[in-house]
Amino acid sequence: MSSLKRQIKTEVKKMRSIEMQKLRSYEDKKMRRNSTSQPLNLLTSEIPASQPRNLSTSIFDISSPYISRLAKIERVARLTEKERLFTIAFEDKKTLGHSPGQFIMLSIPGYGEAPISVSSTPNKRNTFELCVRAVGNLTNALHNLTKGDRLWIRGPYGKGFPVEELKGKDLLFIAGGIGLVPMRSLIKTVLSERPSYGKIKLLYGVKSPDEILFKDELSEWQQTASMNVSITIDKPYPEWKGNTGVVTTLLPPLKIDETKTVVIVVGPPVMYKYVIMSLGDKRIAGHDIYLSLERRMKCGLGKCGHCQINSIYVCQEGPVFRLSDIRYLREAI
Amino acid sequence: MTTKFLKKENLGKLIDTLIGEGSIFVAPRMGARQVVYAPVSKFEEIVFDYIIPINSFKEFLFPQTETVAAFSIHKEGVDLRGVEIEPKETVIFGSRPCDAASVASLRAVFNWDFKDEFYNRREDKAVVMTVACTKADDSCFCTTVNLTPDSQKGSDILLQETSGGDYAVEAITEKGKGFMDRFNNFFEPLPTAYSPLPTVDIKPIAGVDVQKVKEWLKDTKHYENPLWQELARKCIGCGACTFACPTCHCFDIVDEGSAFEGERIKNWDACQFEFFTLHTSGHNPRDTQYKRWRNRFMCKFNFYPNKFSSRGCVGCGRCIRVCPVRLDITEVMEEISSLR
Repeated sequence: MSSLKRQIKTEVKKMRSIEMQKLRSYEDKKMRRNSTSQPLNLLTSEIPASQPRNLSTSIFDISSPYISRLAKIERVARLTEKERLFTIAFEDKKTLGHSPGQFIMLSIPGYGEAPISVSSTPNKRNTFELCVRAVGNLTNALHNLTKGDRLWIRGPYGKGFPVEELKGKDLLFIAGGIGLVPMRSLIKTVLSERPSYGKIKLLYGVKSPDEILFKDELSEWQQTASMNVSITIDKPYPEWKGNTGVVTTLLPPLKIDETKTVVIVVGPPVMYKYVIMSLGDKRIAGHDIYLSLERRMKCGLGKCGHCQINSIYVCQEGPVFRLSDIRYLREAI
Repeated sequence: MTTKFLKKENLGKLIDTLIGEGSIFVAPRMGARQVVYAPVSKFEEIVFDYIIPINSFKEFLFPQTETVAAFSIHKEGVDLRGVEIEPKETVIFGSRPCDAASVASLRAVFNWDFKDEFYNRREDKAVVMTVACTKADDSCFCTTVNLTPDSQKGSDILLQETSGGDYAVEAITEKGKGFMDRFNNFFEPLPTAYSPLPTVDIKPIAGVDVQKVKEWLKDTKHYENPLWQELARKCIGCGACTFACPTCHCFDIVDEGSAFEGERIKNWDACQFEFFTLHTSGHNPRDTQYKRWRNRFMCKFNFYPNKFSSRGCVGCGRCIRVCPVRLDITEVMEEISSLR
């Protein structure tokens, strides 16, 4: 049960007991006075939880861009200790209408809003998926929610991956940690039209084996979709038989046709520098590398300034950038 | 457009009429023993002998806190609803030309992609009545950034003080003209003889070449120039400059309230704060204070003019006056101008 619900339940209980006490004392008084004076209004404003509320749930037709749309959690899957996959549908059954790499602003009233990248493919029309790590106030509150709970979404925002431009190319995906989350949206979109692309490889680096996300899907992609998946763990681990070392250690042995390969990199900020250097060794040009930048965001509308890097608002002009466009943008990487 | 005449006593009547109609009349008045832009209820509250108010009037277009949504939590669940504003007409009297020029900068950022209706509706309902400067202090530097103490930019109506304390009034925009037509009984024809007070002469700072500063900032290799660390070392990151600045526009969005109900609020924020760019993961793209100060300076003279073709700095000098460690933006401009 969510903490909110629990909180409300205990508050309601408290209020009920207060109501009962009032009722009892009222009846006592009534008996004592034996009069027919007006009954006390028990539902006073001191008891907010028991008051019926008539707030309209969502107003779509007003012009404010800060308005979120009501959505419901359809399913929650626990992926690792810290990450859960939420399947979400809008109350009005509308499609999110995102493209791979875009993000939404998710909010739980009382906890605020946070930018979360969409993890599902746009082909899925009735629902969408968000994979969220519990790290802050909002994301911890989200992890307390279950099926049927409400949350609010606005977006999608930003510029995603150039899906059309990738057609006919060999694709090399390089993901670090939860960088796989926005990348999964693109991978699934690409795999749904597998013949349109050349060779596809995924290099995935995580800290430890129990932090590997989408394990079943990774092996499914490897087995059925003719996609080469390599996973590496930062440090040796007792039961781990696979690669160890940071994700860049997977690059040197790779045979890459630099004339027709596009690289998509998503990971923590520290990873980019080293991956880009290693890709330089492979003679991959900056305009063939795409990456998604992480930034603090508050509005998602290109106003609040938190995600600004020089003249660029990451929430509008990103989060996906072509490396050649931001290589000399200071503070970007 | 034609020039009219506003007698001081008619200004009092104008205020009474506007307030009677439900409008807000903002003017320089005393607040915390300083001259501030704030709503007045009568003519007597207005301060006429002032150089520049301590705050900018941006708070009447872009309030320091503004509710954008409201939520309630009850036993059936949670509700969130949008909030719409219907701002009252707000007349800003006694604006200075530098402040008026900042309106275009705010409008640019609140409209370049998504339209921020909270800002737009307030700006639509605002009438800026600027009084040209007859006095200045040592922090004023509008002429250094190519504005003048009698600039019309951003004003709806421009007033010029006369020796008798009355005003020669000129409508600059259609909105200003409409306003003057509406109250044409207070705006009289210009008398044959009147003596306008001379506009103050502010000399541009000799050592500053704004064009050179802009060009220097455009060259990304200057990003890591040791000058930034040297000049901005004393910055304590209080953010006072950003709050006083008429063009600074960054904000935060937070939920505030009780366990049962609350509001989603836009609050002014400042790029000078460490948390401004801090990611939940702990990574911070601007992890030290000099980088945050560099960002503000670059925003004013590089990012902002390039992205929105509007000015980032209007030369009001407030950031110089409020800085607790005397970090002077014009000194940095001088320093960069003097580089070979």
